[in-house]
Amino acid sequence: MKQMTKALFGAAAMVALMAGPALAQEPLKLEVFHWWTSGGEAAAVQEFAKEFNAAGGQWVDTAIGGSGSTARPIGINRIIGGDPPGAMQFNTGTQIDELAAQGLLRNLDDVAAKEGWKEALPPAFYEAIVRDGHVMAAPVNNHGQNWLWYNKALLEKNGIAEPTTWDEFFAAGDKLKAAGVIPVAVGGQPWQLNLMFNSILLGEGGKDLYMKVYKDLDPAAVSSPEFKKVAETFGKLRDYSDPGNANRDWNVATGMVISGKAGFQFMGDWAKGEFVLANQVAGKDFGCILGPGEKNFVMGGDVFIFPKLKDEQGTKAQDLLATVFMSKDAQVKFNAKKGSVPVRLDVDNSQLDACAKIGVEVLKDPAKQIPATDILASQDIVQSLQDVVGEYWATPTMTADEFVGKWNDTVAQAK
Amino acid sequence: MKTRRRMNVATYVALFPAFIVVVFAYLGTMLWTVQISFTESKLLPTFAFAGTRQYERLFATSRWSISLENMVIFGVGLIAVCLVLGFLLAAALDQKIRFENTFRTIFLYPYAMSFIVTGLAWQWILNPTLGLQQYVRNLGWTDFQFDWIIRSDRAIYVVIIAGVWQASGLIMALMLSGLRGIDQELWKAAKIDGIPTWRVYVNIIIPMLRPTIITSVVLLSLAVVRVYDLVLALSGGGPGISTDVPAKFILDYLFGRANIGLATAASSILLVIVLVIITPWLYYEYFRPKRERR
Amino acid sequence: MATATMTAGTAALEPSGPRPKKLTADRVGLYVFLVIAAAFFLLPMYVMIVTSLKPMSEIRLGNIFSLPEAWTIEPWLQAWNSACTGLNCGGIKVGFWNSIRILVPSVIISIFIGALTGYALSLWRARGSNLLFAVLLLGAFLPYQVFIYPLVRIYSSVGIYGTMAGIVVTHTIFGLPLMTLLFRNYYASLPIELFKAARVDGGGFWAIFFRLMLPMSTPIIIVAVILQVTGIWNDFLFGVVFAGRENLPMTVQLNNIVNSTQGEKLYNVNMAATILTALVPLVVYFVSGRWFVRGIAAGAVKG
Repeated sequence: MKQMTKALFGAAAMVALMAGPALAQEPLKLEVFHWWTSGGEAAAVQEFAKEFNAAGGQWVDTAIGGSGSTARPIGINRIIGGDPPGAMQFNTGTQIDELAAQGLLRNLDDVAAKEGWKEALPPAFYEAIVRDGHVMAAPVNNHGQNWLWYNKALLEKNGIAEPTTWDEFFAAGDKLKAAGVIPVAVGGQPWQLNLMFNSILLGEGGKDLYMKVYKDLDPAAVSSPEFKKVAETFGKLRDYSDPGNANRDWNVATGMVISGKAGFQFMGDWAKGEFVLANQVAGKDFGCILGPGEKNFVMGGDVFIFPKLKDEQGTKAQDLLATVFMSKDAQVKFNAKKGSVPVRLDVDNSQLDACAKIGVEVLKDPAKQIPATDILASQDIVQSLQDVVGEYWATPTMTADEFVGKWNDTVAQAK
Repeated sequence: MKTRRRMNVATYVALFPAFIVVVFAYLGTMLWTVQISFTESKLLPTFAFAGTRQYERLFATSRWSISLENMVIFGVGLIAVCLVLGFLLAAALDQKIRFENTFRTIFLYPYAMSFIVTGLAWQWILNPTLGLQQYVRNLGWTDFQFDWIIRSDRAIYVVIIAGVWQASGLIMALMLSGLRGIDQELWKAAKIDGIPTWRVYVNIIIPMLRPTIITSVVLLSLAVVRVYDLVLALSGGGPGISTDVPAKFILDYLFGRANIGLATAASSILLVIVLVIITPWLYYEYFRPKRERR
Repeated sequence: MATATMTAGTAALEPSGPRPKKLTADRVGLYVFLVIAAAFFLLPMYVMIVTSLKPMSEIRLGNIFSLPEAWTIEPWLQAWNSACTGLNCGGIKVGFWNSIRILVPSVIISIFIGALTGYALSLWRARGSNLLFAVLLLGAFLPYQVFIYPLVRIYSSVGIYGTMAGIVVTHTIFGLPLMTLLFRNYYASLPIELFKAARVDGGGFWAIFFRLMLPMSTPIIIVAVILQVTGIWNDFLFGVVFAGRENLPMTVQLNNIVNSTQGEKLYNVNMAATILTALVPLVVYFVSGRWFVRGIAAGAVKG
């Protein structure tokens, strides 16, 4: 009798052991749709996937490369076609407006309230994810767009200190020209030129002008003498880059700074990836400045939206993923690999590299947190203005006044 | 009598797939395109009527008129050069030369490759700092200039060069198949009559290749109207906006800028232009009463 | 060669000497032309191959024409096996079989329907057939991306969105105008007597198509195969929108490798990946060459 009871107990225990994990650990599968496909980006996404899987989820990856303008329409078509992914990447800003307005996305109010998103995020970013009073997206990073990178060896060799004003910058450029080096490595694609232009707008024109131009879309601000000066400074830069800059990839331009062919490059913080790939160290081989001029941090970044799913498991998985995205641990790990800065202001930043640390310092002041143009205006306006900037750059005979005129016309039509 | 009706049914059955495709896919899309062009649609289609606002904006956008201009320049250039080069290459390959297979594959391979990366290679080659200009200068000819790609007024010609590179192999293949279909007796007869070779080509062979030439022109025209990858990879539509083409304009607004109202307006205009051009040809080719063949 | 026999035949009657210069100059000119043309066509390929064999440190120096100093086939291995295309770093081989699975039925069906339609349009009467053809041709000029949204709606209402059927139907739709044009012109150029004779013999629509026309279509089928294989193999947008997650073609991996914007760009891997992707159409071109010659000559003599 005792034997049998023991055996029965043993069997029951074994069954319980086997069934137990099976019952408790049904992983929450979720398809995540994004455009991070390069080696460095993939390593960063791994961090999120690892955290998600460790927390009981199962990350199903769908990546479509190409800066988002390829991936977004594909993802949107999937939502329309009735086969939505569980989570989808967008850039922080106005891109999610219509999807939210049409009720295709679920809100994250519960998760946001529970995890204290409002307190942890820069106010501009929190506003950027709220539509109609509901939290509609989970931000994951904070990319600085207005960095100025330089080759330390070149500057030292020519006795140039880090420029803090635009005048100092042009002086530095002259010295480099005299030494036979291309002062600024430019990639003549409209979006890159626009980044450069915005750097000048912020650094020379100032934060208020920038906001009036992009947020308020105020034509008077564009016609002002300050804006005109910004346009002229931008035009001046043509002489400080080489003629072959047309349609040059930003990576090739960074390559020029790395190899010492050029001294400076205006580019967002993703340029760090190229330096790192070439085994260069921040602060030692290359330097980084937010500016020159007024030191501000132009914040852009990526968010994830969550289309409405039909099944409950999916929705639970979405909750889990949203929590993971904004969790302190995952934020630090992801951004350390991505080159951007964690979007939460309350995390431990000791692991970040020298340049990211500079960025974090500047971000501590809310007045210096500047939303990127993606957050302030529609893609239509932003990209149409990029056309104008690109045209101005490629046409040395265009005057600053003509440029201003075109700018205002474009905005008027696109509104 | 009975047989005739049966045969007619068969014809309709055979044409049924094409019919479905035309009505649902093509007509359906064309009608949808025109409809959306009259709405305020941005990212997603809506029915908010906008009158002719999208068209007004379209005509006021310098990028659009530049892109139409470029399409014409590119079209004329590409079709003319491809036809001539394709024919010359085909005629050359038809001469019983050695290594015909190798040459033919060399001329045809560009068509096989995705232009996004081959375009990048061309971009590097044409770049004055990186490519041909610098290379030739390093060899000694310090005055050599070939910087068309960065000049707003010349950049479109560079796009033609890249387009010719990509497409003439296919035209050559078509012409070659046409040439090979011509009876060898014809050549012998012409030789006996003492007609010089070039004359045989111009007066006899080329007219015989008419159907092939027409197919080539249609193929190339399709490529011209839809050209996108080429421009994107080579010049990005620049410098500035000087090499913009309609397909790139439409796509930028359709996808990147989330303004399908404007994109469909542009598509509709494009459709109208194409309609105006090909209707006369279609009428001549297929609709006018023919001398009876059947 | 004819010249050789001529010289040999007349050797007994005339002193053998250098061949008439005119002939040689022409031939030389011909080869010079071909070689120069070949150089033009091969130039980008040279840059691509040379770049794909260099390490990134050399590429950064920007000497695009120089031969590699530190040869490496790493980029090729990476492109095939281990390049990152998202979370998965499995290179382009991941989608290879999917591409094949999409290619074969799409090529066969699109060419078949094109041939059938071209045959019906060129040799038979049906009301409105010319109008059908006109709309088909006109529609071909519309940028194909504009079709995406309407097709997504149509497919999802019929239930084939995101399936293999969906992508095959899509390729058929977009191949139809050109295929119909090709076959229509081809059949119209064949001697009409053949057709009339077959009708007199009692052949019906289908019999004539399968027993007479198709067998005679070899040359044009080759051209059609070249066009369709290239177009379908290199297609990216339709594959990624309509084929469904399990059937994503190789071009998706290629796109992910080549088109990362904010990440680092490994140009050597990109070039290697592009060449690898192009191998399938290239093989088709090379192999189809022989058919080009034979089929057409046969068709011409038959008339």
